[in-house]
This record gives sequence, structure tokens and C-alpha cells, in this order.
Amino acid sequence: MYSKVVEVKNVTKRYPNGTVALKNVSVKINKGEFAFIIGSSGSGKSTLIKMILKEENPTEGDVFINGYEVSAMRRKDIPVLRRSLGIVFQDFRLLPGKTVYENVAFAMQIVEALPKEIRRQVPMALALVGISRKANAYPGQLSGGEQQRVALARALVNNPSLLVADEPTGNLDPENSWEIMRLLNEINQRGTTVVIATHEKYIVDAMRKRVVVLDKGILVRDQQKGLYGDEDKNYQIHN
Amino acid sequence: MKIRTTKYIIKEGFINAYKNKLMSLASLSIITASLIIFGVFFLAAVNLRHNIRTLEEQPEIQVFCYLELDETQINIIEEDIKGNPYVREYKAVSKREAFEKVKTEMFDGKESVLEGLDESIMPVSYIIKLEDSSKSREVVEHYRGLSGVEKVSYPQQAIDFISRITYWIPLISSLLLGILLLVSMLIISNTIKLTVFARRREINIMKYIGATDWFIRWPFIVEGVIIGIVGAVFAFAVVGYGYNALEGRITEDMAKIGVDIIKIVGIKDIAIQIVGIYCLIGVAVGAVGSFISIRKYLQV
Repeated sequence: MYSKVVEVKNVTKRYPNGTVALKNVSVKINKGEFAFIIGSSGSGKSTLIKMILKEENPTEGDVFINGYEVSAMRRKDIPVLRRSLGIVFQDFRLLPGKTVYENVAFAMQIVEALPKEIRRQVPMALALVGISRKANAYPGQLSGGEQQRVALARALVNNPSLLVADEPTGNLDPENSWEIMRLLNEINQRGTTVVIATHEKYIVDAMRKRVVVLDKGILVRDQQKGLYGDEDKNYQIHN
Repeated sequence: MKIRTTKYIIKEGFINAYKNKLMSLASLSIITASLIIFGVFFLAAVNLRHNIRTLEEQPEIQVFCYLELDETQINIIEEDIKGNPYVREYKAVSKREAFEKVKTEMFDGKESVLEGLDESIMPVSYIIKLEDSSKSREVVEHYRGLSGVEKVSYPQQAIDFISRITYWIPLISSLLLGILLLVSMLIISNTIKLTVFARRREINIMKYIGATDWFIRWPFIVEGVIIGIVGAVFAFAVVGYGYNALEGRITEDMAKIGVDIIKIVGIKDIAIQIVGIYCLIGVAVGAVGSFISIRKYLQV
């Protein structure tokens, strides 16, 4: 196994319209870590996530994920990379025409898993996120919190080594946000590396995990057990 | 690709076709309409070609004797025809028969015009069919030169015209079919594009969780193929039924007026051909239409 699950080396991203989203950013995230990528909108955290998913390529520098040199990867190999990741989005991105069960099973069908495996793994993933009772419901019949839990189950079902979440609580109320964070933490405890882009101060401050702070495309702070703001001395837990 | 994936893809194609009923119906109507139009052209072409061939094979030559010939003179001509090696069969048309024919065919209901006239105004004639149509000119020349023969009618112009048509018909009909197919392909791929556009988010999600392009593409192609095949079946039902009815009527009508030159090709003889072509076109148009439409949304 690679000890470094994510390695971003001197990455600069310049968009065609001239905007520089990232300036010479380097970050390493080790296996088993739990890291927040934080910053206000426009800070470049979405761009960083997009590079991990190979949605964007760096203008300069290299990105390695799970040992793949993502920055040099060919288009047809992208699915291989994405299958090794669990991905959670702010807007859940569930397939509206499939039930909860089918949505989670779909992630396994893509990797051509055995039907037997699918029948075994999917209920386990649904149970882990506490949504088993809604297995036959369609996403449209679920609340936001429930949908995000389904998305989480889908991200987990193939046992990825890295779980990437882009603003996973952005569309949720605090109660559901905590539930999702609790689950992400639990997943991390089981050995999965978790990287979360967020700008929810109260969550970051309460969880005291590693924080990678971006501001206008520049890495300004990378701190273990950090806070959202640079106010380490007098922090409070927000609930 | 593994068998279970193939199974998944086929199942998914059917489910999608059913879930997107409205769009499927739109594509289905267009493909069915195009195939029906195509079928009409196709059947017309088949029948024309068939009839031209029969016409070419049996050009009829009619030899008219002078009115005033007596029986011995007429017999000499008949003997000549009988002894001609190029003649396959011949039929004598007597004065009476000729007169009756004129009366019924040309003056039907107005027989009074012919009052006072009788069969003596009509010449005896012989209708000749040849063994080999390429000898027609020779035979025609021979009888034109024979004494007692007033004239020889031979549809030279008609045959020339037919040969010209025989040359142009396949060209024109294939050109028309080509245009028609291209147009239906465009319309169908646009319809599927609408389906795909409505589901672009879905495609996007699939890409994000690591589905390959083909894994996403195949169910759409299967969906297109299903629509194509169903369209082919519908179109065949309509064209087959319509053609069968028309064929029966035309054959009946022609039997009534005693014309047997034009023969309508029986539906049984071409049914398999049409079904085959329909399915081929339906499958190709559906598959290619899906393939073209989905391309744009796979770039994530």
C-alpha cells in the first residue's frame, strides 16, 4: 500500500479565463488520515477536489492519488481512478430513477461485482449509514439527510481507500450535518482515508482534525488538530 | 464484458425505454413513419422492376391483315406465323372478336355510334409472342414485308421507354431512400438527444462514480435498438396489411377488365425481405442515433 494516499506537488491551476485558482500548492495526506480542506468560496478548495477526481488537470505540478499519477492519466483510465475512490457531493447526486438499494448496488455493478457480493455488501452499507428501512424508496421520497446517507453508503460500498467529500453538509441542517460527520468519522476509524472540503466553521472547530487552509489559491496553513480560524488559544465548541 | 454486465445492460435498456415512455413514443413514431414511407417506395420499386422484367420478356407483336383479304390469303399469313421459329405462341383475332372489342372498350354505352356498321370494318389480326425478345425487330421487319399485311404494331417506343426506366428507377429510388434514411436518422438522433439531455445529470453521476463510457453508452444503445425493432414491427404491420389489401384489389380489378400485363408481387414473396430490411434499418438507426446523441455528455 502507498502510505501517501493523496500527494499534490507544487500544483498551480490557471483557468483559460486567466483566473489562478491554485498557486504552487503542495499537500500530502497519509493513509488513515482525516483532513479538512477549508477556505471561503473562491479559495481554491473546489479546484483541489476537482484535481483529485481528475475533473481538472493542473497547469503545473503533479497529483498522485492511491499511487496513480493522476495528472498524466489518460481519459480512458479515469474510471479506474474513480472506482478506487468514494465520492460524496454537496448535492448528493443519486440516480433519481433507481431505488436506494439500486443506487448503492449500481456502484458495484460498475466494477462488475458478483451478484452474490452485491447482495451481501449493499445491505451492510445501508445498515452502516442507518438507512436500511428505506432501501426500496426512491431518492425523491427522502429528506436531504437521508439522501446524503445513501450517497455515503454508495461511496463506501466498494471499500475505497480514500473517501472524498465536497461540502457534504452544504445542503443539510445542523442535526443532519452532525450525523453525516459522525458517519464520516466512523468510516475513518475503520481505516479509510477521509478528505472533506468544507466551509462549516462549527464542524471543523468541534472535530479538531487536520486542517488544510486555502486562501485565494494559496496554502496558508496545514495544521493537525486545527481550528477553522487561526484562534487556537481561545476556541469554543459549537453545537 | 462479463455476462452479468451484458444482462444488466440489456435489462437497463428495457427499463429505460419504459421509464422514458414519452420520449420512446416520440422516437418510435418517427422511426415507424420513416419506415412506412420507405416501405412504400421500396414496394413501388420492387413492383416496377418486376413488371418491367415481365414486359421485357414478353413484348407483343400484333400483325394486322388488309381488310379485303380472303380466307386463303389470310391462311397464308397464318401459316407463315405458325412456321416461324421465333414465335412461341400466337393468337388469331377474328373480325368478330375485333369488332366486339372495339364496341365494348371504345364505345361502351354509346354503341349507337356504330349503328349500321358491322364486323367487316375490322381486319383480322394475329397477336404474337416471341421466344426471345431480342429477335423482335427481325420478326417485325419480316411481317412488315409480307404481302397482305397492312401494318405491324409493336410497342417499340414503350419498350425503349421501359428500358430507360429500368435504368433510372433503381438509381432514383436508392437516392430517395438514402435521403429518407438520413433524414430519419437525424430526427431520431435528435429525439434521443432530448432523452439524453433530460438524463445528462444521470450520465454525469455515473461518470463520477467510475462508470466507463461503454457502460453508460450500452443501455442507451439497447434502448435505441429496442425502439428501432418495435418501430420495424409496427411499420411492417401497417405496410404489410395495406399492401396485402391493395394487392388483392388490384389483382381483382385487373382480372375484371381482362388485363394481365401488370402483375403485383405477392406480399408473401417479399415479406421476409421487408422484415429483414426493416429490422436492419431500425437497429442501425436506433444504435447510431443513440451513439451520436450521448457522445457530448460523456466528456466529464
